[in-house]
Amino acid sequence: MVEREEILRLEGITKLFFNICALKNVTFTLKKGEILSLIGENGAGKSTMMNVIGGVIQPEEGSMTLHGKLYTPQRTIDAKNAGIAFIHQELNLFNNLSIIDNVYINSFARYPGTPFIKKSAMRENIRKLLDSIDLHVSPDMMVEKLSPGERQLVEIAKALSGNPEIIIFDEPTTSLTTRETRKLFALIKKLREQGKSIIYISHILADVHELSDQIVVLRDGVVVDTGKKEDFSMNRMIVSMVGRDIKQMYPAERPVAQAKKLLEIENLSQPGIIKNISMHVDAGEIVGIFGLMGSGRSELANIIFGLDPYAEGMIRYMNVKLSKQDPIDRIKRGFAFVTENRREEGLLMEFPVYDNITLAVLRDYKKAFGFIDNAKLQKPVAETVSELRIKCSAIKKNQVKGLSGGNQQKVVLCKWLLTKPSFLMVDEPTRGIDVGSKSEIYNILNDFAKAGMGTLVISSELEELIGICNRILVLSKGEIVGSFNSNNFDREVILGAAFRQNISNGATNIV
Amino acid sequence: MKGSKNLKLFFLKNMAFVLFAVVFIIFGFLCNNWFTITNFENIARQSSYIGILAAGMTFVLLTGGVDLSVGANMFLSASICGLLIVKGWPIWAAILICLLVGFLYGCFNAFFIVKIKVLPFIVTLATLMAGRGLTLVITKSEAVSMPASLVSGVGSGRLFGILPYPILIFLLVAVAASIFLKFVPLGRQIYAVGKDSEGAKKAGINVNWVLAFVYILNGVLAALAAIVSVTQIGNVTSGFGFGDEFSAISASILGGTSMMGGIGTVFPGAVIGVFLIQMVQAGLVYLQVDLYLQPIISALIILFAVFLDSVRTRYIIKLEHRNIRTEEQVQKTQKSFTLRDIFDRHR
Amino acid sequence: MTPLTLKGRGTANKFFVKLLVSEYFVIVLSIVYFLIISIFVPSMLSGNNIKNIFSNMWPLFAVAIGQTFVLLLGGIDLSQTSTMALTSVIGALLISNRMNPDILSNSPLWGVIISENGGPLGKAPIVLSVSITIAVMILVGTLVGAINGILISKVNMPPFMVTLIAQMFYSAIAIYLTKSQNVIGLPDAFCAIGGKSIGFIPYSFFVAITLGVIAHILLSRTIRGRWIYATGSNIKAARVSGVPTISTTIFVYAASGFFAAVGALLYTGRLMMGRPTLGDGQLMDILGATVIGGTSMTGGKGKVSWTLFGVLFYTIITTSLSQLKLDSFVINVVKGLVILGAVTLDVARTRIQQKGTLSANAKSGKKVTLNG
Repeated sequence: MVEREEILRLEGITKLFFNICALKNVTFTLKKGEILSLIGENGAGKSTMMNVIGGVIQPEEGSMTLHGKLYTPQRTIDAKNAGIAFIHQELNLFNNLSIIDNVYINSFARYPGTPFIKKSAMRENIRKLLDSIDLHVSPDMMVEKLSPGERQLVEIAKALSGNPEIIIFDEPTTSLTTRETRKLFALIKKLREQGKSIIYISHILADVHELSDQIVVLRDGVVVDTGKKEDFSMNRMIVSMVGRDIKQMYPAERPVAQAKKLLEIENLSQPGIIKNISMHVDAGEIVGIFGLMGSGRSELANIIFGLDPYAEGMIRYMNVKLSKQDPIDRIKRGFAFVTENRREEGLLMEFPVYDNITLAVLRDYKKAFGFIDNAKLQKPVAETVSELRIKCSAIKKNQVKGLSGGNQQKVVLCKWLLTKPSFLMVDEPTRGIDVGSKSEIYNILNDFAKAGMGTLVISSELEELIGICNRILVLSKGEIVGSFNSNNFDREVILGAAFRQNISNGATNIV
Repeated sequence: MKGSKNLKLFFLKNMAFVLFAVVFIIFGFLCNNWFTITNFENIARQSSYIGILAAGMTFVLLTGGVDLSVGANMFLSASICGLLIVKGWPIWAAILICLLVGFLYGCFNAFFIVKIKVLPFIVTLATLMAGRGLTLVITKSEAVSMPASLVSGVGSGRLFGILPYPILIFLLVAVAASIFLKFVPLGRQIYAVGKDSEGAKKAGINVNWVLAFVYILNGVLAALAAIVSVTQIGNVTSGFGFGDEFSAISASILGGTSMMGGIGTVFPGAVIGVFLIQMVQAGLVYLQVDLYLQPIISALIILFAVFLDSVRTRYIIKLEHRNIRTEEQVQKTQKSFTLRDIFDRHR
Repeated sequence: MTPLTLKGRGTANKFFVKLLVSEYFVIVLSIVYFLIISIFVPSMLSGNNIKNIFSNMWPLFAVAIGQTFVLLLGGIDLSQTSTMALTSVIGALLISNRMNPDILSNSPLWGVIISENGGPLGKAPIVLSVSITIAVMILVGTLVGAINGILISKVNMPPFMVTLIAQMFYSAIAIYLTKSQNVIGLPDAFCAIGGKSIGFIPYSFFVAITLGVIAHILLSRTIRGRWIYATGSNIKAARVSGVPTISTTIFVYAASGFFAAVGALLYTGRLMMGRPTLGDGQLMDILGATVIGGTSMTGGKGKVSWTLFGVLFYTIITTSLSQLKLDSFVINVVKGLVILGAVTLDVARTRIQQKGTLSANAKSGKKVTLNG
């Protein structure tokens, strides 16, 4: 085998965010015509790594060389000019423009000597591009009319239009159908044959195993394992990613369902969002909902909580039918909802910890004329803060935005704990949280369950659901396509269900 | 069921046209001599300078911003122009200076909005105040007259004896603006910035330059509008341009521009919007509606337009959410699903 | 970009930066400005002038409290001045006890509820007429605000446009009701609230300060207040946490209308007439004073006390400018520039504060992750 030439080399890259090490001494090489997969848990440093390569942020130590020459991008445009293309998970498209506008927004061809766009010059290229990724849509179609899968393909077309040498794919398959995914893989392999180098980031280990030549495992900002695909078994990948005896990470005992029925959902539907969702959560349970991006997880959570409407179906709580859109009523009945994105939907970042903790429960601590009974709040607040072990010296003064991710999430949990909920819904409980705090949060959830609370955990991290739930439901394209009990939790099977769009009539076992 | 949904969609997308047609026909019934060239010409004339303002304002609104200072800008540039002519400057030079003043005004706004990053609303509100005040100081709050030659030449003159110059200038601006927005890269980038400025930055667009451009252009167009207006009226009094920024904003929004940015057109959008507003005002005058009631009715019409805009915006947001699954997509995948798909992928 | 470091010129630098960022910056600035300008314009220190400043502040402060509420929500109320005009006119038409037919006979209300003998309450016992008039004025103002609030929160229309249209609409109504004329003939008891003083302390002071204190307590110590800050800071998070964002929005805009009506009461009393053009051109003053005080236009940050400081500063500046015998137009120019300067300063202050938090966290070893 011909030894492939080295294209991109990272040596000793270290990135600090103030005192905290996001990347430490990262070293690896990417060869020409090779597919390198980067795997790791959430928060392992994959995005930081890519942002360094892409010129979004600059490392404190270490160096990068491209074709043997020093590569120090200061801005994203430098990376692009150096022939590195980035395909992000979150689409960066302008829905109000056409495909051709999106692809060429910064590189329109013009009639020479005039400022006018020469569409004809670009049309030929764009058609070839779209054909090569098997997207058979008119280049003048507005992006807002495309499906998520098609939009992701446009994003890919955009990256490829600059004729890059190195292409970085960040979780590209989460919005694609099975067929689209196969086409994507075929395309990636074709690109490799053309001599392009690919960095592929994904948490779907089966994909990683199929595609890669080389595998790099990141954990807590450090490269803990690398090697050729042939030397990597699924197990080796998982063990390197998680890095510890899995048993230590998750609580020892699994939650057990108690006799009391809490949440019952029947045939819930909202056109374009969810269809025929039926499920239940009993006291003492931790039920997980697993789905990939675009499956409708957070949308379902919002509908259950009453923030968004639904067209058909029914939601019952403790045998009482709930009104359609009334979050306040739900909270009064004992619902709690920790949203996916605490920054944008869960916390008032500029406000002190105390204000955030007390926000949901103010109605219960009312004096005459609407005054807040701060005296009465002291004890409950202090108790929950210490129970959840929130690290903050002055909760009435310190703004919550100054806390670590883990502590911030605990503040959100604290807020809900004060409302004495009987049912908790958590969306992405450990996103952006360091490993140590993750374990704490799992234990907290487990304690809640033991105390009789019913919990619904929505997550895209299958490992954690397998670790803490007693049941897992699989959501795909707005429908529940699988249900698993703790005695048959199998990572690859569950993942298979998530990708197996819409098994037709009867084959689902909804519990 | 689907039919009514389609009808709703059609109405929302072409709101301006529908409203225009409806109002046009209603006034046609109510007023005598509605369907005459003189009437249309009058409406078009009165629309001209507001139309130029609306064209410029559309650029600003497309980026998600707003410019409240155009009326004051008009006042300042027209006054300086007039004063220079009185001092003996040749007319063409004074007009050039007028445009230059508009340009500088726009630059001043752009500086605070783009460089210092203060909200456009506050910046332009402050420059509105300062601008009007400055002009009153310069003119010592006396009216400034324009030379008769300008009035008869441009204001009342006609191209080939048919098309009045004010209307011509307006149409030229509208067409040029539309071509710019559709066929020039910077024009497309304006739509991108308005939709998602962070994303635009990531895509490599120089967002600062795009924003600065729209405010500066708006300044120049305000000065141009001032010229078109003043050559019809003949002088610049202390109320010149007062409140015109709101007419411009309303016209643009009525024509389909969204205050959130990223959606809107100059032609046909803002043009229809301007004609619509002027048509209503002309109609009310025609019907000899109480002078005091006219602004009330105008306000209600604009309220209706903004209401429709909110409905449209909400609908678009709903559409964008509604893409977890489409029925056709599901059918397609169902058809293509085979055993091989399972085994191929997840051995 | 390196975080702002406070080395170099050491303690002096540190002191200034600390002052810049503090809550009391504006009031210190006011005092400093006052002292400096007094050197150039000795008439500033005259008893008359100080009395002027003191009595001018309060009606403006009253209205600005309402605007503060709205800004806290991240909104804006452009209709306050038209609300002032409308309530002024309605109040005057109700309570006037003599009207000149030559002036007001064109009004659509002439012969219907108003006549040469004034309005419907013109001849009623004074206590009754004053209290009813005040009640009606407040009610109208609050209602106007509530309608704005409903359109903004339930129909989801942008605050800027809704209040702008309201401004045009109610202003036109006020002018229509009196056909552009002022309404005089108001009883002394009514005018005393805005116009008279005890010694050298005007009644308007008591009204404004009392309301200010109530507003301050409402915002800082009650549930409603907490809800207002939450909604203004992050409406999504507020909704999820059970804050009734719709009723909070309606409440805030209704409050804005309420305070506009109070301001109208004070101004009308002072001028001794109902004016359909009351508040014309004052919108900038109201907004400017509030923003100078430090209340943020993006919501979630601000206090009634800050607005008080802002109003004080603004009034001192404008009085000093008129003492300098400057043209009113020049004053407008200066006002505009001052506001620009204030917001620029505000942007700078926010940036300094942010950098301060970040580096403080770094020093204390708090972990800052990318997503958290």
